[in-house]
Amino acid sequence: MAEDTEPKKDAKAELKDMSDICPIGDVLVIAEHILGDLQPVTLELLGAGRMLADKMSRKLLCLVLGHELGDIPQRLIEYGADEVYVAEHEELKYYRTLPYRRVVCDFLESLPSQPHTALLGSTTTGRDLAPRIAAHFDTGLTADTTELDIGPYEHTSKVDPSKIGLYPNCLYAIRPSFGESLKARILGPWKNPQMATTRPGVMIPLNRDPKRKGEIKKVPVNLKKEDHRLLVDEIVREVAKGVKLAEADVIVAGGFGMGTQEGFALLKELAACFENSAVGASRKVVDLGWIPYQHQVGQTGKTVRPKLYIACGISGAIQHRVGMSKSGLIIAINKDPDAAIFKFAHHGIVGDVYQIIPEMIKQFKQVQSTEGVKAVVGTH
Amino acid sequence: MLVEFVKKEWVIDLMASGYRIFVMVKQVPDQGSKAGLNPDGTIDRARAKRMLNPFDKFALQAALHTKKLYGGSVTAISMGPPPAVEILLEALEHGVDRGFLLSDRRLAASDTLATAYALYKTINYVGEFDIIFCGLQTTDGDTAQVGPQLAERLNLPQVTYCEDFSIKNNKVHARRIIEGGHQTVIADPPVLVTIANSYHPLEYKSFHGAWRVQQLQRKQEELAKYITTINLDDVGADPERCGLKGSPTIVAKTEKVGELGGSCNMHEGKAVDELVKEVIVGSSVKEFLSVNGKPQ
Repeated sequence: MAEDTEPKKDAKAELKDMSDICPIGDVLVIAEHILGDLQPVTLELLGAGRMLADKMSRKLLCLVLGHELGDIPQRLIEYGADEVYVAEHEELKYYRTLPYRRVVCDFLESLPSQPHTALLGSTTTGRDLAPRIAAHFDTGLTADTTELDIGPYEHTSKVDPSKIGLYPNCLYAIRPSFGESLKARILGPWKNPQMATTRPGVMIPLNRDPKRKGEIKKVPVNLKKEDHRLLVDEIVREVAKGVKLAEADVIVAGGFGMGTQEGFALLKELAACFENSAVGASRKVVDLGWIPYQHQVGQTGKTVRPKLYIACGISGAIQHRVGMSKSGLIIAINKDPDAAIFKFAHHGIVGDVYQIIPEMIKQFKQVQSTEGVKAVVGTH
Repeated sequence: MLVEFVKKEWVIDLMASGYRIFVMVKQVPDQGSKAGLNPDGTIDRARAKRMLNPFDKFALQAALHTKKLYGGSVTAISMGPPPAVEILLEALEHGVDRGFLLSDRRLAASDTLATAYALYKTINYVGEFDIIFCGLQTTDGDTAQVGPQLAERLNLPQVTYCEDFSIKNNKVHARRIIEGGHQTVIADPPVLVTIANSYHPLEYKSFHGAWRVQQLQRKQEELAKYITTINLDDVGADPERCGLKGSPTIVAKTEKVGELGGSCNMHEGKAVDELVKEVIVGSSVKEFLSVNGKPQ
């Protein structure tokens, strides 16, 4: 991201209206699914995209690529899209950079005017595809946003005098930077579509409305030979392994304070007390090989927002906090009363994980047998 | 005698058979160290401790491992201010054959797209290649965009989030992470690969490597054979497409996220069963327990 100076207030009167450079327009969400399994981030993007489109009083478009998509286009409408564009082709059955890139670029070029905003998820797919689209169109792309909005921007930097002016409707792509100590508002008002990827688990999807009406339109698919330079040999879904951190309601995570790899068996036991739970880990223990990378929460791992996060022996360094601070209820166990994790946990227990966790398991089991508690479903 | 040995052992032979491997590396501020942190939380890059981007270490490992298994040469390419030469020296110590640093004041404030353009011009200048390895992302930008944008500029197929890489019958076989699993892909070189941090960690540099670089640093003209610093004019890049001018994104505003803290209910200094009980009574943790302890 380039750095720029804050606009000066007194320059406002002279600023040229630049609304023709990035006029308001539709909002496009590029849907994501794995072999027909619609990804939660797409519904979240529709929720955010709906808000942006309403602000501009324009339509929310959704482009979905695949093969034998079944009811997915209809579901996209029920979650907020006004128009769903469907590119169906056998070669689009699963995600591959070049064929998907071709279809998305052709689709955008076929539109009479460019969407104002184009959104993708910050997933292994979205982060693979979005930069290529942005580079193809020479347009701005902001990665891993956590907030989106539309608003004005006064550009007064003299580096390029032709750009000086007031841009009334810019996409505000807001993301944490430098760990999570700063929030940066990043703009790219020089050209539509203004692009962003959004972290999974952050935006709020709309409630599904089966009565919502929308249009479903077909998109032509014209792949070229050079789009087949890379082939997918096999797709393995490791659902059976149970590492579904992003979707878990409860995450029990361990850090270096667990002392040994064997300590993670205890965490599994604690996690088993909960409905829809998973075991997470800090980067340090993943680097030590105590647990596979798929369990890693944080800046270089997954961003999660479970209803309950139990951090065991995790100091709470900023790189970890980035990935879990939005959790509903955070309980931290650490023997160091000054550990950073206690600055943002809701409940902190100071003590030895090997004393606290077995006691927790014991008491949870008592609660389960005496009260017969029900798992809470819904938002926390 | 020792100097003789160096010359014999370590010659750049880029015409040798095997793969022409490029690895893209970046010097980043060390966020783990407090040095060079401004009061508002931003990094003063001039004062901050510098290091090789941690993600690039995995890319470096992939490049060196590929050379070891299948033969060829490894060229490290970086863009940054003059001190970035440090990471090229580090790469040489690890066994890279040569390094190029694109350094030019006109590159200041480049965003990912402007960076990708400048690197694309640099790669064209350096020469032909079969495989380009990049780190998945950097720790200072965290975007993971430069790799794919560079691939777009070079019109290459790409494998991002790669955690396993091999070559069989001159075809690249790679395993990449996807949500809830992985996929394996096959491609003919040339290809651009971004390496995830679930790849093998970078091996320690050998004593030999470190010693050789130490010897080289004593003679600038010797070192210049291995590390070349170039600018935008050398690579024929259009300055209008670099730096702030060539960047489609700008940081319009930064704000400090409020200091956390104060709201944590601390439980300490009591018997373990008391502490746990306090949390169970004082929070909503009970609500998430599975029914009757039934395993899910």
